[in-house]
Amino acid sequence: MLLEATGIVKTFGSFHAVDGADLALQENELIGLIGPNGAGKSTFFNCLAGDTLPTAGTIRFRGADITTTPPHDRARLGLARTFQVPIVFEGMTVRENVMVGAFLRRPHRHAAADKADEVLAFTGLADHADQQVTSLGTPGRKRLEIARALATEPTVLLLDEALAGLPTAEVDLAIELVRRIHATGVTLIVVEHIMEVIHRLTQRVIVFHQGRVLAQGSPAEVTADPAVIQAYLGRHAGRRRA
Amino acid sequence: MKALPRTLLLVLLAVLIVAPCLSDNPFYQRIAALTALAAISASAWNLIGGYGGQVSFGHSVYFGTGAYAALLAFDKLGLPPIAGAPLGMLASLVLSMLIGLPSFRLRGHYFSMATIAIAALAEGLVTNWNFAGGAIGLMGPASPRTVADLLFRSALPYYVLFVFVLAVLLALTYLMQRGRMGFYLRALGSGERAAESLGVPIRRYKLYALLLSGAFTSLAGSLYAVMIGFIDPDSGFGILVSVNMVVMSALGGAGTLFGPMLGALILVPLAETTNVVLGGGGTGAAYVAYGIIIMLLARFSPGGLAQWWAPLTGKGPRRAA
Amino acid sequence: MILLQLCVDGLLLGAVYALFSSGLTLIWGMMNVVNFAHGDFVMVAMYVAFFAFTLLKIGPILFVPLTAAALFGLGVLVYYALVRHVMRGPMLAQIISTFGLALFLRYTALWAFSANFVSLPDSLVGGVYDLHGLRLSASHLLAGATALVLTLGLHLLLTRTDLGSRMLAVSEDRVAAALVGIRPDPMQALAWGIGAASTGVAGALIALFFYISPEVGNAFTLLAFVTVCLGGFGSVPGALLAGLAIGVIESLSAYWLGPATKDVAVFGLFVVLLWVRPQGLLGRA
Repeated sequence: MLLEATGIVKTFGSFHAVDGADLALQENELIGLIGPNGAGKSTFFNCLAGDTLPTAGTIRFRGADITTTPPHDRARLGLARTFQVPIVFEGMTVRENVMVGAFLRRPHRHAAADKADEVLAFTGLADHADQQVTSLGTPGRKRLEIARALATEPTVLLLDEALAGLPTAEVDLAIELVRRIHATGVTLIVVEHIMEVIHRLTQRVIVFHQGRVLAQGSPAEVTADPAVIQAYLGRHAGRRRA
Repeated sequence: MKALPRTLLLVLLAVLIVAPCLSDNPFYQRIAALTALAAISASAWNLIGGYGGQVSFGHSVYFGTGAYAALLAFDKLGLPPIAGAPLGMLASLVLSMLIGLPSFRLRGHYFSMATIAIAALAEGLVTNWNFAGGAIGLMGPASPRTVADLLFRSALPYYVLFVFVLAVLLALTYLMQRGRMGFYLRALGSGERAAESLGVPIRRYKLYALLLSGAFTSLAGSLYAVMIGFIDPDSGFGILVSVNMVVMSALGGAGTLFGPMLGALILVPLAETTNVVLGGGGTGAAYVAYGIIIMLLARFSPGGLAQWWAPLTGKGPRRAA
Repeated sequence: MILLQLCVDGLLLGAVYALFSSGLTLIWGMMNVVNFAHGDFVMVAMYVAFFAFTLLKIGPILFVPLTAAALFGLGVLVYYALVRHVMRGPMLAQIISTFGLALFLRYTALWAFSANFVSLPDSLVGGVYDLHGLRLSASHLLAGATALVLTLGLHLLLTRTDLGSRMLAVSEDRVAAALVGIRPDPMQALAWGIGAASTGVAGALIALFFYISPEVGNAFTLLAFVTVCLGGFGSVPGALLAGLAIGVIESLSAYWLGPATKDVAVFGLFVVLLWVRPQGLLGRA
């Protein structure tokens, strides 16, 4: 068991954003995390990433309890994440941005630069290496998010809507990139809204609704599940289906 | 083609450094010494304020500590003032820890506010501390007892000493910003959440930067006390001490290697000349100008002058690999 | 008895602190920008009041609203000329912008008026009332009462009027407010105007019994910061209660620790507050 979350609860005052959610992630899986807006998946994601402290529940990484471990230590352990809205380090080049990630495992500048170049090539950003990071558009920045996280040589990579808002051509490239990352042995949790991406990319899907796991299974199983359809489309959807 | 402006700048720099040594005019020599000293403080501030992005208006705490350490060493122990410098630096390291650990929990404006309050608190405490001369302050040796007292009649030896210290500081800064610490600092200064997710231990690196920054600011304070021979709560711990560092760095370009020095090069001669031209009311006028400069910078060119020169010389001194 | 006197004095002055601090908290709450020049606005107001009286022979009944109007204009000007642009820029720019403004105001005043202080004649709002041994000076009473009324008025403006809800909407979520048709710029400019006007009234009131000098800005800025921190960012009622509390604390420390050290007490409190309540204070950070 690589990453395990049990009984996660997160409350904000009287509001239960996450109300008892579990997750079991095995080595080299590629799972999707979906759910309508407000379902609690982002909060759950942030608990896994270390940004948010769960009110209750435990998170284990390779058996060790990391529930209260801060994000920088999680990165050290091998758990990396990207941000939904890309955060770039302005005033630095694309390569330098990636080097920030590379320095985690490679304290020396040249080794970090080499690793950064390697990752840039892998993610298709090599041509932009020396440009100021602010010259990148949204697709480039999303890709940079992934490259930077990869430079930390993670075991588990949490992607937060890495494909949201991309034009169709970019979506294909992004899916291909995620597949290539998976092929190197990295375990992935992908949070997405786009059902097509989930179908094409993931082996297993977890559906969130009102702070809990509503359904789990393969993309086909989950999208055919009436409970899931109802959660997404509302009470009448079930009746409207032929 | 890009190499040409680079070498040109280096030549210019060399000329600039040597020029005061060739001049006979004590006024110019004094300005040169004060400029170099200001460049030290501004460059020290730059470590945490520029690279680290934590805008401290409270560095006067370290400056004052260094200055008072030097003159207390003389006043109470009869030592040459410069001997107080290491003590001041040590004290500043402790202060950096005490101040940094809690205040780095705060971000942005709140951090800046906290630094202002701490500096005001420090000034208030020192003003009431009779052991350190209270509101009147302390004086250094009236006449040199040994060479170690560093009491020179001309400003030139001070200038040379200050340039040496500045060179050491800039060399350290250069090494730092090339390596992991520099990258981590810049990252946490521009995207703390992202930096943290990439494994950067935020508070630890802010603290490292503050320790280094505080120590060198303290040294600048000690050097100031050595040269001027007098310190009081206002000249040591006053808010203007911090303001000077911030304006100079921001003007030249905070977070760049030579930015603070450039800022000092422009502002110190300006301030000193205005002082002379306008007489007693001169100091006020300089700060009116500083206020206007800061507002213009903030409004039009937050990256300071470095924003303009970087395109000329490629990417300036922060090139990777 | 002395204790009661000190407390009453503190409350009256504290009400004035509450007034200008509520201006600061309004600005702060609206756009997460700290006005480092807030105390210097009060200083400017004091001089405006002074000159309104000495040059134009305008009495307090008129110069208080006049000063408020003048400072309102200054606030709006500062917003449009400076703040609106720096808010979209890097953090360094945001932080130093109002700091630069503070320097500019303070040193222009120093240059123009030198460090000597001036004051309005005591007889302007003269008289001392004796209430069972309690000394209440008319000017302090007037200041305190006016400040109290206006602070409450500001609170009502924000919570009970349409304009107020629009302002609060922008402060909650600028983007969402824009989506529902509330233009953020005029609302924020208004916040600056009102925030500055609060310093206008406060400054004019303080000028009735306090010395006027270019240096007072620093202490007032810090007082405003402490008050806003204690009362909670963005909360006018909070600023009111905190202002009153700070006034009393200052009054008591001046008596027990001496006037020179009273500042230390307030700054010390501020430092402690920032340490102890970062979670509560950072509501909008």
